[in-house]
Amino acid sequence: MAVSMPSQPGAVVEFRDVVKCFGQTVALDRMTFTVSAGETVSLLGPSGCGKTTTLRLISGFEEPDAGAIEIAGESMIGKRPYERNVGLLFQHYALFPHMTVAENVAYGLRHRGWAKGEIPARVAEMLQLVQLEGFEARRPAQLSGGQQQRVALARVLATSPKLVLLDEPLSALDAKLREQLRLELKQILTSVGSTTIVVTHDQEEAMSLADRIIVMNRGRIEQQGSPDEIYMRPRTPFVAAFIGRANWFHGHVGKFLGNGLAQLVTTAGTQLAIRYPDAIQGASFSACVRPERIAMGGPDASAGDPSDNLVPGKVVDVVNMGAELHYVVEGNDGRIVVVEPNRAGPRVRNGDQVWLRIRADDCVALPRSEP
Amino acid sequence: MKSDRGALPLLIPGGFAFLAFFFLPLAGLLVESFRLYTPGSIGTSASAPFTLNNYAELLTSAFLEFFWETLRISLLASLAGLLFAFPLAYWITRRLSQRWRAITVGFFVTLMFLSVLVRTYALELTFGAAGSMHSALLFLGISPNGRGYIEFLVGAGLLHYIVPMATLTLLATIQNVDPRLVDAAQALGAPGWKAHLSITVPLCMRGLLAAFLFAFTFSISAFVIPMILGKGRVLFISNLVYTRFSEIADYPSGAAISIVLFVVAMTIVLVMSRQINKRWNA
Amino acid sequence: MSGRRLDDCLRLIGLTMIGTVICFLVVPIMVTTLMAFDARPYLGPLPPPALSLRWFSRFFSDDYFINGLGTSVELACLSVVLSLGCGVAIAVGLDRMSFAGREALTSLFLSPLIVPPVVTGFALLLFLAQMGVINGFARLLCGHIIITIPYTIRATLAGLAGIDRSLTEAALVLGARERSAFWEITFPLARTGIVSGAIFAFAVSMDDVSVSIMLTDAKTYTLPIALISSMRANFDLSIAAASVMLMLLTLALILILEKAVGLNRAIGQGVFR
Repeated sequence: MAVSMPSQPGAVVEFRDVVKCFGQTVALDRMTFTVSAGETVSLLGPSGCGKTTTLRLISGFEEPDAGAIEIAGESMIGKRPYERNVGLLFQHYALFPHMTVAENVAYGLRHRGWAKGEIPARVAEMLQLVQLEGFEARRPAQLSGGQQQRVALARVLATSPKLVLLDEPLSALDAKLREQLRLELKQILTSVGSTTIVVTHDQEEAMSLADRIIVMNRGRIEQQGSPDEIYMRPRTPFVAAFIGRANWFHGHVGKFLGNGLAQLVTTAGTQLAIRYPDAIQGASFSACVRPERIAMGGPDASAGDPSDNLVPGKVVDVVNMGAELHYVVEGNDGRIVVVEPNRAGPRVRNGDQVWLRIRADDCVALPRSEP
Repeated sequence: MKSDRGALPLLIPGGFAFLAFFFLPLAGLLVESFRLYTPGSIGTSASAPFTLNNYAELLTSAFLEFFWETLRISLLASLAGLLFAFPLAYWITRRLSQRWRAITVGFFVTLMFLSVLVRTYALELTFGAAGSMHSALLFLGISPNGRGYIEFLVGAGLLHYIVPMATLTLLATIQNVDPRLVDAAQALGAPGWKAHLSITVPLCMRGLLAAFLFAFTFSISAFVIPMILGKGRVLFISNLVYTRFSEIADYPSGAAISIVLFVVAMTIVLVMSRQINKRWNA
Repeated sequence: MSGRRLDDCLRLIGLTMIGTVICFLVVPIMVTTLMAFDARPYLGPLPPPALSLRWFSRFFSDDYFINGLGTSVELACLSVVLSLGCGVAIAVGLDRMSFAGREALTSLFLSPLIVPPVVTGFALLLFLAQMGVINGFARLLCGHIIITIPYTIRATLAGLAGIDRSLTEAALVLGARERSAFWEITFPLARTGIVSGAIFAFAVSMDDVSVSIMLTDAKTYTLPIALISSMRANFDLSIAAASVMLMLLTLALILILEKAVGLNRAIGQGVFR
């Protein structure tokens, strides 16, 4: 049952306790979020998490079983896709193959009541926006992947929709093209001032395009926040593992160390200082550390800050990725991945004994997840 | 997207046509097959009593012989058709260049589009009693008017349709078989023929069965081919229906034979389709 | 080593079979074409000593054949139009249905393909007689419609299946209503399926014998019927001439099919059962 709450002013999209089931499967379990005007939000999650369902609920191809969906303050329940002012950029562009580029871009304009005389000028304006002037007479089959995407974008933006939905916008492109188009996409969307939702399973896509990321799993929101928050301060083991790489230490709370620091006693007996103000004595939990936050020192490494942890280990693998060096270090608590920029200077080699310096503030305390 | 929306009204005009031109007539045929026929009249009147006579008649050896002959020739033709079509399809898929493959496929498609009348007439003209090969046949000691030869000719007529059809079906099937599997088998020591028997054929089994199904149901329902090539000596069930209708005007009997043919054809299709789907989980 | 021998032996047999079957398929056609130009006024053994067009002029001057040809063409054109109308509508309806009912209904609508044509014709004859429809052309038309509809349905379904669902969705989200989306997006893209269906339907109608023979009457008959009675009465070469004409018609249809749709795609849309 939808709870009747006043809608927030300035919100372009509002989801309140939306539930959607397909047969026995619950695709969305009381999903609630808002998107404000001008924001770019990403729905990020693995396949099956409900992000595509959310997309289809917003665009109007599915109806919710419960809950409220509002766009610009108007309820969208029962409204067909053509009655909503939403733009949808399909993953594989969905350009009409039997129409020219101009006819594709003009399609929305024709059906939303634009005056015939004004359409060609608007089409030209949109093509200029995506840097495809002069392409009016071409057919989709004659365009490259990147060009097709730009036509699709022009088609979406032509009618100035209140909300733009992007479905895995960069996934169909190869790596180089992706880089290039990501920046262009961002610039175009900002210049138009659109409110955007990007649906993706690719964290790089999400991190690079969005102001705010909503991480989804199994129909629920795990965490939402800025890319930095999501990455550096994950609040659930799922988010920690899904975004970037994580090193894990599992154990229970030992002593309290003052200053908001608590001691983690791992199952292997290692003692680590972790920033964990809400620690409860004896409770079990896990700590997660990002690979690039770990500093590697030789066997004679001295302490920096007393609250720094020094963990011993032996290097078992070194991978040179060009811009970075990836090390796999075997310690008492299992394997730890360390990433360092590829600097000049003395290199740690495979087989070396090292000390890993891990700062207490770089460890994130999370509910215990089994290794 | 809401499906089923507006689907129903679209089906109405076609549905009406089907009802009027197909389902109701078939039901009527079923009813007619149970009516009593009085010799000498044309068909039956609406007040004729019901009887099982028409079906009982069919249990006589004369009719069963016709039935058996139809099945026998159809079975042989279908099997022969597959036997010829399989190597042909294999050769087209694996040994011909892209261009020749397109030409051959085009040729087979054209053959299938070609009127059955033209093809049957062509066979009769070439291999028939009054035909061009007349002297050659006599030379070989074959009597073109002999029953055996006529049966053979009817089978050949069926083949003329079955082979192109089966070949086209099998082309797709064989294309789906990775040729490297046979190479692997040969690398492991199997001679070519064994490799094919144990690898290619089983993998194509589904396509082979589907092609056989098409061929067999086509053959037992054949009308024109046995009519022209059979010369009245070899009659298929469809021809029997026609003679009941045109020569004797015994509609109920014709109806009964039709129903039997219908049931046989539908049963074969349904049973075999289900078997194929069960084995190969469509 | 004997494995290799057997291999070669079997390969030879295989190639012989292939050669034989191709000859078998081609030779009768060639013989008929050749004999159609035979200058002799009777049916004699191969090869014809001289060539002429006498059999063709015999064919065209025979009212019996020409009437049949006219009726055949009329019937084929009408059947194609009517069965396309019904068939395309059915295919679109089926395409929109959810899974459960759809397979069963599709089989139902394609069932005339499996039912022996004589049975279809006979049943229709009895039914129409009961309904009081005695006009020969009307009866033939009913029969031709029912045998051609499954082809239009199947070809259109195949054409619709090839259309990406997201195209219709894109149209809807851009502001088009369902009806506009259908006529502007779905229909043009399904065009190849519809054209294939029309061509198959035309060929089937022109060729049919088993259904037509039950529904024909003394005044109204199709060309194949005329040819068959002629064959039984008098097995001469005017039928060979007619055959050549029909072969040319088939070639024309194939060329149109290739031009409009492409043969490879047409095969995917079910030229055979």
